[in-house]
Amino acid sequence: MNPVLVEIYSTVAPSMPFIIGAYALMWVAILVYALIIMMGFKKAEKQMAVLEEALAEQQVK
Amino acid sequence: MAAEKGATVRTAGGVALMKPSTFQQYKTLLRKDLEQEFRTKEMLTSMGIYALLVIIVYGAALAQTSQTTDILQMSGGLLWALIVFTSLLGLNRSFAHEKEQGCLEGILLVPMDRSVVFLAKATSNLLFLLVVEVVAVPLFYFFFLTTTTPSESFWLLVVPLLVGTVGVAGIGTLLSTITINTRGKDVMLAVLFIPLIFPLLYACVSATTAAIVGAEGYADVMLTSLALAGGYDVIMILVSWVLYDFVISA
Amino acid sequence: MTETKKTPKLPEAGQWPDRIAPAVLVAGIVLSTIGFLLAFLWASPVNGAAVNGVEMIGGQMVTNVLLLSQKIFYFHMPVAITSFAALGFAGYYAVRFLMTKNRRFDTCSKIAMEVALLFVVCTMITGDLWTRFEWGVWWTWDPRLTTYLILMLIIIAYFILRNAIDEPERRATYGAVLAIIALVDVPICFMVTRLIPSSIHPVVVREGGMSGDMGITLMFCLAGIAMVGFALYRLRFRQVRLAERVEALKEQLED
Repeated sequence: MNPVLVEIYSTVAPSMPFIIGAYALMWVAILVYALIIMMGFKKAEKQMAVLEEALAEQQVK
Repeated sequence: MAAEKGATVRTAGGVALMKPSTFQQYKTLLRKDLEQEFRTKEMLTSMGIYALLVIIVYGAALAQTSQTTDILQMSGGLLWALIVFTSLLGLNRSFAHEKEQGCLEGILLVPMDRSVVFLAKATSNLLFLLVVEVVAVPLFYFFFLTTTTPSESFWLLVVPLLVGTVGVAGIGTLLSTITINTRGKDVMLAVLFIPLIFPLLYACVSATTAAIVGAEGYADVMLTSLALAGGYDVIMILVSWVLYDFVISA
Repeated sequence: MTETKKTPKLPEAGQWPDRIAPAVLVAGIVLSTIGFLLAFLWASPVNGAAVNGVEMIGGQMVTNVLLLSQKIFYFHMPVAITSFAALGFAGYYAVRFLMTKNRRFDTCSKIAMEVALLFVVCTMITGDLWTRFEWGVWWTWDPRLTTYLILMLIIIAYFILRNAIDEPERRATYGAVLAIIALVDVPICFMVTRLIPSSIHPVVVREGGMSGDMGITLMFCLAGIAMVGFALYRLRFRQVRLAERVEALKEQLED
């Protein structure tokens, strides 16, 4: 490769980790938030099941 | 408290009740705060001593720097750090006794515009802060600036101090009303107060430093900074004033 | 999110935004993926410092260092805009809450705040990695960085405040007040840090103007990220509403 080309592309390789890091971390943050929401749904579902049981018990009485 | 500022009774051919004017209400509330403070001197002494202690901490913090270090460049920022922390202490106290004695409930029973309470409280906070600054700034000068020669425009730092303190008192009054009802209120006030005051702090530090250093073209820098700080004051105090009704009734 | 403007109906889970939310989410992911590909494969690279010499690359004369790090910008700006839009919605719902005292608006405001925090964090991450590479420092008190740090701190303070109050009424009111103050404070903060000349750091001059292909790429990313933000908001809203209803049922059952 000629020296001019080397200079033209000189910042490309060193900047790679930062670019990949930026994109990856951004999507990780968004996914973590989505995960929190999903966990919230799961928790609500569980509580709903408990409620149903409690309701059934009350009706038996 | 409520009785003191109740309706004035005028007898002119019968009994007529006159509602005190808004300005009268404001004056009464302000006088109440000032009288309370002059009786106990609780806030002023604690803030004054705190300011002195911060200066001592600065002394230790700067002890290892060389004497030729440009203290002039730093002093604007140091002075404002001192003011911010001292006012945090004062603002924390400002509603404490109202709450403890149940005074706030009494004030709220009076049929009046809630924003008057805000204005009165902000004014009293402003006055206390100014009194403390009158003591703290000369102390700061005595301990840090006597080794150098500040520029001739040094006295101009009164202007950013005044503009900044108005903003601190305004937004600080609203925030201390909010935090008085929260758990861990001392920390809470700092957590809310410092980010919200940041633009004002930035502008005031810039103006103060410009005044102390007095480098070429300092007047322009001061003017820009002061205009921005003034804009912050106006906008934030207006917003606080409008929102105060919701805060104090909650 | 805008449905409340037209109808006096309260925002509730299962209304039309929820029906389109999954489709919007998919569209958002597709659009941002297209934007991502465009950014790297199609959009013209940005030139840095000049080099000694000329080289032909793909039929074009290149005389400058090509900056790949600028590709971060295609996602950095959309997340920043989305975060601010979310903050705007939080402020809007806060005003609605103070006007109607209906707790539903408080829920909306809180969730918009959460989304704003998420995207502010994303902005900080992408911006900071760019700063680290281009300026060689992890942190500098540049106006944009400072403003976003302050914005992040205010939003975190908002959640700390909410956690520190037990009464729901009071928590909602104070939260709304703080949301409005935050919305007012942030532009001022940007103005102040930008307009006051700083003696230490040089003002960062951005090359003005973008070429057309860059603009189109940016539009794809912006639309994609905004849609993802909207879908996240609706998803979270549905979940919180469900949790609230479960709580209400629980209380009813206990009576």
